[in-house]
Amino acid sequence: MKENNQQYEGMYIFNATLSEDARKKALEKVTAGITGRGGEVQKVHDQGRRKLAYEIRGSREGYYYLVYFTSATSKLAEVWKEYQLNEDLLRFMTVRADEVKENLEFKKLPE
Amino acid sequence: MSRMSSDNFLPPMSGGGMESRKKRAVKRCPFMAAGWNTIDYKDIETLRRFITERGKILPRRITGVSARFQRYLNIAVKRARYMAILPFVAED
Repeated sequence: MKENNQQYEGMYIFNATLSEDARKKALEKVTAGITGRGGEVQKVHDQGRRKLAYEIRGSREGYYYLVYFTSATSKLAEVWKEYQLNEDLLRFMTVRADEVKENLEFKKLPE
Repeated sequence: MSRMSSDNFLPPMSGGGMESRKKRAVKRCPFMAAGWNTIDYKDIETLRRFITERGKILPRRITGVSARFQRYLNIAVKRARYMAILPFVAED
């Protein structure tokens, strides 16, 4: 029996000192972890190089990606384990998403 | 003794029979007023409005945020902190 896929969004912070090629490869590794387990990547937002609010493993900057994907919930633990072993990945987070956001602009809260 | 707690307590719905000595301006939750239903951890601009310069979350007694949205705000800020979008503690 096939488990239903659930919608998620993952945010990934890569080491900003990586070359563009190396970074692309690292991202591929991240998405391969999802697709290799029956998940589907729907949208990748390149959020670029950003200053970190605090130091993570000696880095003051990170390269941010936001990925919308679907995956079976039971497979996520495996995926995370794989991410933990990835040295170029400074930090990641997976949260449940309601929708795939095409742009990441937000409504302004009126004063 | 019980003055403190009753003073800070805002009744969840206005129009309740609670009579306070001082007339307070009616605070409305900015998120409810704007018709939001979630708060995104990526929305730094909004989050910034509800934290201090040091990075602490402002109490809703000051901001007037409803209990529900304070809860969402809480989660959003903590997610943003984990992703190094917001600081845990801001120095200087």
